[in-house]
Amino acid sequence: MTVGGIGMRNIWRNKTRTTLTVIGGAVAVLFFIWLRTILWAWNVGVEYSAKDRLATRHKVSLIMPVPKRYVDNIRQLPGIKQTTWANWFGGKDPKRPDEFFATLAVDPESFFQVYPEMSVPAADLATWQADRRGVILGDVLARKLGLKVGDKYTLAGTIFAGDWEFNVDGIYIATQKSVDRSQLIFHWAYLNERLPERGKDLVGWVISRIDNPSRSAELTVAVDKLFDEKDVQTTTMSERSMNNSFMAAFSAILTALDFISIVILLIMMLILGNTIAMGVRERTREYGVLRALGFSPGHVATFVIGEALAIGMLAGGLGCALSYPIVQLGMGRYLEENLGSFFPYFRVSASTALVAALLSVLLGVVSAIIPARQASKLTIVDALRRVG
Amino acid sequence: METSTEKSEQSSAQNKGKAVDGPAMVELRGVTKVFYRGKEPLRVLDGINLDVPEGSFEALMGPSGSGKSTLLNLIAGLDRVSSGTARVAKRDLTSLSDSELAKFRAQTVGFIFQAYNLMPVLTARENVELPLLLTNLSSAERKKRALTALRVVGLEDRNDHYPRQLSGGQEQRVAIARAIVNDPAIIVADEPTGDLDRKSADDILLLLEKLNRDFKKTILMVTHDPVAAERATVLRKLDKGVLI
Repeated sequence: MTVGGIGMRNIWRNKTRTTLTVIGGAVAVLFFIWLRTILWAWNVGVEYSAKDRLATRHKVSLIMPVPKRYVDNIRQLPGIKQTTWANWFGGKDPKRPDEFFATLAVDPESFFQVYPEMSVPAADLATWQADRRGVILGDVLARKLGLKVGDKYTLAGTIFAGDWEFNVDGIYIATQKSVDRSQLIFHWAYLNERLPERGKDLVGWVISRIDNPSRSAELTVAVDKLFDEKDVQTTTMSERSMNNSFMAAFSAILTALDFISIVILLIMMLILGNTIAMGVRERTREYGVLRALGFSPGHVATFVIGEALAIGMLAGGLGCALSYPIVQLGMGRYLEENLGSFFPYFRVSASTALVAALLSVLLGVVSAIIPARQASKLTIVDALRRVG
Repeated sequence: METSTEKSEQSSAQNKGKAVDGPAMVELRGVTKVFYRGKEPLRVLDGINLDVPEGSFEALMGPSGSGKSTLLNLIAGLDRVSSGTARVAKRDLTSLSDSELAKFRAQTVGFIFQAYNLMPVLTARENVELPLLLTNLSSAERKKRALTALRVVGLEDRNDHYPRQLSGGQEQRVAIARAIVNDPAIIVADEPTGDLDRKSADDILLLLEKLNRDFKKTILMVTHDPVAAERATVLRKLDKGVLI
């Protein structure tokens, strides 16, 4: 038996209230984990960005294309190992127009060399490279669309109008968490040949792998310098910076989620604080008895804080335990399959769960500070007079 | 001066049995206690002089609001005098800091309350063990002493019962075990039989007599019950803050 232990036992004196408080706290922890996981998953692309990849785009905006000949110019630069390019196609499944997935027109020879974390069986890759109308899909997308190798598939173009017919030649899987497994990839040449003359031979962005990641900063400058005097200037950055700049477009949403997650914790603190304050009011007389027996104001505060600590631990533990089936298995699977472009890997990280549990305990203690202070400051005689 | 005061106190006390004549466990000189209702002072105790010899069993009676419990609280170190001096077990309570006073209560005073005031989440044994948490005793030693105290009050077999599983009389006996587990020099009891039926009250009074007689505990008991007061060796009366 210890002073803190007695405080912990006190929590079950009003089982209904404690149970409701623990559930309330656990729901807050669950929401916190969910929101933090959204933020974490959203940033996972940045987190896992390749250190040896550079992205080159139009200096003005990502939506403006650069001439394809730039690819060859960049390839010539010492320090550049491989180069590939891609165009955002913006195709939709005509049968599922609300379904969003990335559709990219790429160079079949070099694309999978630059992105080795997207793995395609060698035979399928060879078939696709030889098939101008071939597509390769991510395994999640293929499952969702019910497609398999050998199937025919038609996309409706939103940027490039018309129906686009494809042969499913292969399915890629991811060897790294950050890879979007819901992309559709086809030949850039197929797109280019159907474009009017003024839209031909343009690419959305160029991706290069470099020999030495430590030369990344130096090479970004060198690439842009190649086109300084040209009509179309470029901005080159590391893949991480490019992903960051993509994230910046959603910064308001991310900041709002950040803010909401903090508000949720504050609400949790108020719930706990209210329960603890009620407990203190009910047990004032007992605190008076303890003081009479020789316990110090510090001991009384420990009783109160012990109680809050126990509730915080229970709420944190329950919230973390619920997060696995609800956030990871439920929402996670759904978001990975339906919003894979934004959340390619939606899992509750150990650090998120740990932070949630620790904050739950910490906020439990913080919420008890005022009630503990009030309890410890009671005069013994007044406390003993208190009824109820 | 001191001799005349002692004579005056002696005359104010009605000796109902064999009064103990030993060194003073409690010495109060000119003790006053003033409470404030808003800004208005309320003199609850007025110039109390009192000597309680070691080993005595004294009862303090008086009408409601006469200051009995306040006097008991001052002697037990639960409250501080407004003026005058209070010495209990050779300690000048007026000179002790709050933490020293807490230590004094833990080591020197055993409390028995009218409403028992046991902690409902603790078993009888754990309730008795509570004051020992403030000592350096090992867990096993604490448990042993708590069981010994429960044996003294005849409740060793109920050691694992929670207060809700005990009768009022049994709860009060557990509270008495808690009061004696630290082997205090003085036991203060505020209406210890106030919530009990006659039979249970008699059992408690017998127990207090036993503690006084066999364990030489000095007992100071506030009571409204004349039957309970009869069991004390000295009866003192208080009215309007003055010993009469």
